[in-house]
Amino acid sequence: MPKKRSSKKVSPSSARKKAVAKVDNALSPHGGKLVNRVVEDKDKAKRLANKAKVELPIRDQHAREIVSIAYGFFSPVDGFMKRADVASICKKMTLASGYVWSIPIVFDLSDDEIRSKGIKEGDTILLKYQDQPFATFEVEEIYSFDKKLMAVSVYGTDDEKHPGVKRTYQYKDKFLGGRITLINPPIINPPFDKFWYPPAQSRQKFKEFGWKRAVAHQTRNVPHTGHEWLMKGAWFEAQSDVNPNECGILVNCVVGEKRKGDYIDEAIVLSHAALGENGYFKQGTHMVSILLWDMRYAGPKEAIFHAIVRKNMGCTHHMFGRDHAGVGDYYDKYAAHEIFKKIPDLGIKSVLTLEWWYCPTCAEVTYEGLCGHKPQKFSGSVLRSILLDGVKPTRLVMRPEVFDTVMMAADKYGFGNPFVDDKYLNERNPVMTVPPMEV
Amino acid sequence: MAETFPIYVWINEERFAKLQEAGLADKAVEAFAGLKRLEVHANEAQKDELLRRFPGSKCDLSTTRSIELLPRAFKDKLFQKVIEMRRLDPEVVEEALKST
Repeated sequence: MPKKRSSKKVSPSSARKKAVAKVDNALSPHGGKLVNRVVEDKDKAKRLANKAKVELPIRDQHAREIVSIAYGFFSPVDGFMKRADVASICKKMTLASGYVWSIPIVFDLSDDEIRSKGIKEGDTILLKYQDQPFATFEVEEIYSFDKKLMAVSVYGTDDEKHPGVKRTYQYKDKFLGGRITLINPPIINPPFDKFWYPPAQSRQKFKEFGWKRAVAHQTRNVPHTGHEWLMKGAWFEAQSDVNPNECGILVNCVVGEKRKGDYIDEAIVLSHAALGENGYFKQGTHMVSILLWDMRYAGPKEAIFHAIVRKNMGCTHHMFGRDHAGVGDYYDKYAAHEIFKKIPDLGIKSVLTLEWWYCPTCAEVTYEGLCGHKPQKFSGSVLRSILLDGVKPTRLVMRPEVFDTVMMAADKYGFGNPFVDDKYLNERNPVMTVPPMEV
Repeated sequence: MAETFPIYVWINEERFAKLQEAGLADKAVEAFAGLKRLEVHANEAQKDELLRRFPGSKCDLSTTRSIELLPRAFKDKLFQKVIEMRRLDPEVVEEALKST
């Protein structure tokens, strides 16, 4: 049966015409300043918590977004969005302030919850996560928004089979907008702790490495050799006007909601680190990090979001390959490449990568357009299928150290399975733990 | 001709021994410098049924147009049917679907 598609198309060109984007280029964060909404001082945190009139438990998605907002990943966003921001994103792909932004960051709540908790505009709410005080939320606005409009504007479709559209339709009746303050910073648990670099720290790390150029690689996959060559190709492009030791690759692994069949998060971060640890990248040219974010699969719109986040982390370049952040066949293969031509300069250069395949004639991973032979195409999904069939991939498609790390992670963190299953979903060690806090 | 969608059954040592025993080792084609796979073809209706029945699976439309991430148990069944029926076309997929 054909998919139900909306006839309404996203129109980045209209965004270009209407938006007056205030963009600071160079290495500055989006909006010019890194947001910091983290309170480390325990007494101050308690005082803020005690001002709150209402307590509200939150779900995982909101907890991850609060952490990402508070540490500045989403700068200049400093809280959950108000109506004007969401409307502006849907209409012009900018925040109300004029800065380019492509995906609404919203806090939904049902009418019943608002009524039963007595939440009003002007209130400060104490948000609780894992049964602990977590953040305060200054509710400046309670509003409704047309969820179909939001879905079509962001995803270019109203098809409920699209996971981002489905998420949007599942939002509750109302949205709350206002600034958040993280009053009880979570502990990032092993093995993720050593990959936790909020923007201020990633920028510091780049300085220590001496990087003048940093190219971001967005991932939610274990690396196969195609990914490795994409990263290497992107590094060459980013490095072209500086010395080789002044350029590095930031692998930024998206850690968020998991679906059955995905690689477990631990396998993803550790296998990327294995590439550096085993000499496929020289020490000091490759850095693995995480981003707490639930993928929206918004294709080109998510590409823009990723560029902004990585700019905030200090990157000067961002690589975008085939079907970036896509799902199914909702977007053209190179939609993410095209959209950057249609928006104002974000201050982070796009490195647009094509498809690297295994060429049996050349006996190496290469680009079809270079060697002209018939390639053997592979993808993350094909690699996952090989592993699911209990077969060890050859080194030309997956480095043996990567395979060994995936299997080690399966034993140590995945209950024997490198892929997400019910047991992992129910019993995995959380990525972050909110420490006890008395208020 | 209507498009068919390959399902790759990757061959480990155990599967290769069974293929040899059945005299079907030549059905396995080499991929990626040393791997072997059977390429079984599903028709459009079977593709849709597989994706419906196994929600974690996907048709990799952007790259290979193959049906990926099918559970090991189904791939084992499909492999068994290839051995029994000695063919790689949608008939095999039909039988595997019937018996799963």
